[in-house]
Amino acid sequence: MIRLLRSEFRKIATTNIWWAFLLAVLGFTALTFAINALQAHSYLHQPPLQLPANIPPDQAAQIRADYQARGTLVVQAANLYTSGQYFGLLFVLLLGILVVTNEYFHQTATTTFLATPRRTMVIAGKLSVMVLAAVGLCLATTVLCVIAGAIFLSAEGASLALGEWAVTRALLLNLLAYAIWAVFGVGFGTLIRNQLAAVIVAIALYLVGSSIASAIIQLIAIVTHAIWLTKLTVAVPSVASQVMITGADLPGNPPQWLGAAVLIGYGVVAGGIGTLLTQRRDIG
Amino acid sequence: MSDGQIVVRGLTKQFRTVRAVDDLSFTVAPGRVTGFLGPNGAGKTTTLRMILGLVRPTSGTATIGGQVYSDLAEPLRTVGAVLEASSFHRGRTGRNHLLVLCDAAGLPARRADEVLDLVGLAAAARRKVRGYSLGMKQRLGIAAALLGDPRVLILDEPANGLDPEGIRWMREVLRGYAQRGRTVLVSSHLLAEVQHLADDVVIIAAGRLVRQGAVAELTGEIAARRVRVRTPDPDRLLAALNGASAQRGEADLIHVTGLDTPAVFRAAVAAGIELHELTHEHADLEHVFLELTSGGAEIR
Repeated sequence: MIRLLRSEFRKIATTNIWWAFLLAVLGFTALTFAINALQAHSYLHQPPLQLPANIPPDQAAQIRADYQARGTLVVQAANLYTSGQYFGLLFVLLLGILVVTNEYFHQTATTTFLATPRRTMVIAGKLSVMVLAAVGLCLATTVLCVIAGAIFLSAEGASLALGEWAVTRALLLNLLAYAIWAVFGVGFGTLIRNQLAAVIVAIALYLVGSSIASAIIQLIAIVTHAIWLTKLTVAVPSVASQVMITGADLPGNPPQWLGAAVLIGYGVVAGGIGTLLTQRRDIG
Repeated sequence: MSDGQIVVRGLTKQFRTVRAVDDLSFTVAPGRVTGFLGPNGAGKTTTLRMILGLVRPTSGTATIGGQVYSDLAEPLRTVGAVLEASSFHRGRTGRNHLLVLCDAAGLPARRADEVLDLVGLAAAARRKVRGYSLGMKQRLGIAAALLGDPRVLILDEPANGLDPEGIRWMREVLRGYAQRGRTVLVSSHLLAEVQHLADDVVIIAAGRLVRQGAVAELTGEIAARRVRVRTPDPDRLLAALNGASAQRGEADLIHVTGLDTPAVFRAAVAAGIELHELTHEHADLEHVFLELTSGGAEIR
């Protein structure tokens, strides 16, 4: 297994792919950090909420609670420290897909499976190396964001909130999200071997699919008057991911653990089906 | 030394509508070069891929030294294979491609440099495969196959893309390998190449075994006795050769089967017939091949 890990690691390290992805992730992280910092600045200095009188009291209470929650330092600090996550996860997903589909695209699957005929081992090796790569990417962005965030927050005259459990939890969940999306990416790549198709479908699902799926679920909920159905939006992977990592529990959102459970479920299912398919497939 | 023997037993592969390989059985002996011949679409590549565990047989088995490929403890140190012409990431250097395999097989990085030297790619080792010619890629493929110094070599159309010098070089490598008691199985549609290279041949058509045997034996059998004669007086010669089966070729040419050259000469002299050419025809593998596969060679 050590041999396989070294081999899979070298595959990533000996092409341009790793620094292209690193640059892309760092670029998007810098961009989102700037946006998050602007947002945090306005939230931390937000005026008291003025609500129109005609809003029903229970709804007003929720809006007020939400408004206050967003204004708290912990939520903003967590948000700053995990900047770039949205695109970071997308890139991890894509990297996971490329690590698998590259083998078919460049026909290196032949030599890979000749060297390691037990295909389950090859998938396991790819999963492990991708999780490590995702953790590496996450650590790189987190270190940069925490440094930049700490500088920003001290400039705002606020505390760094680094000791807060909610912030620590957000950082850990961020790490978990990166790892799970890496697993998801490898599983996805084994499901759709065609590189271009896999990449396009994944990007579409990640960026647009979640809003379309949630819109459909909400529409059904409104039509059938079953408001509880809106809770099902958590079943959409990218929504689950957002739920899982939303810095602190915002009122009205499904619990974080549910998001984590859904996401892990998807990762396991994608990886499992992908491994089964890879075992049965003819390479040629 | 049954160590590197390849044994194929009742191997069958049914793709959706095509039976690519149909109840195929043959053995490949160590210490010899075995040519694996067949018309395009005969199932050669599918068979080799089944031997290497890349394609799952519908039924039947293929073993190497008594073991199924996927059960080999050290696959790259047991079997070296060259399949399609380019199975390299274009953005990776030739040397790094080999190092990836060294890692997977637990071989030292030194082996990568040794085989690069051996195939004459040392100078291009640190260049990306993108810039390689077809011949260089073919050499890199052979380098990868030799990496683990395996007991068995399996090559699918290795001469493709090699220049004549490259083909001669490869022939020497493969012959040298067989002389050291190892097993070499080479598929090819270049019959002349196989005739010069192989000791044994396995001929298939339409997924079925047509013949297996030593090259000398097969060509000798078909050659029987064929004599080629040119004479300005073909009709009289045909009459003089009565009894022997003879065929008129173009103009003054006659092919005689069943007689040797002295017999034809004696008949001509006795009848006072002038001869312009009298040669013993060597049946080459191509004749054998066409004769054996005709009927089974249709494109499927």
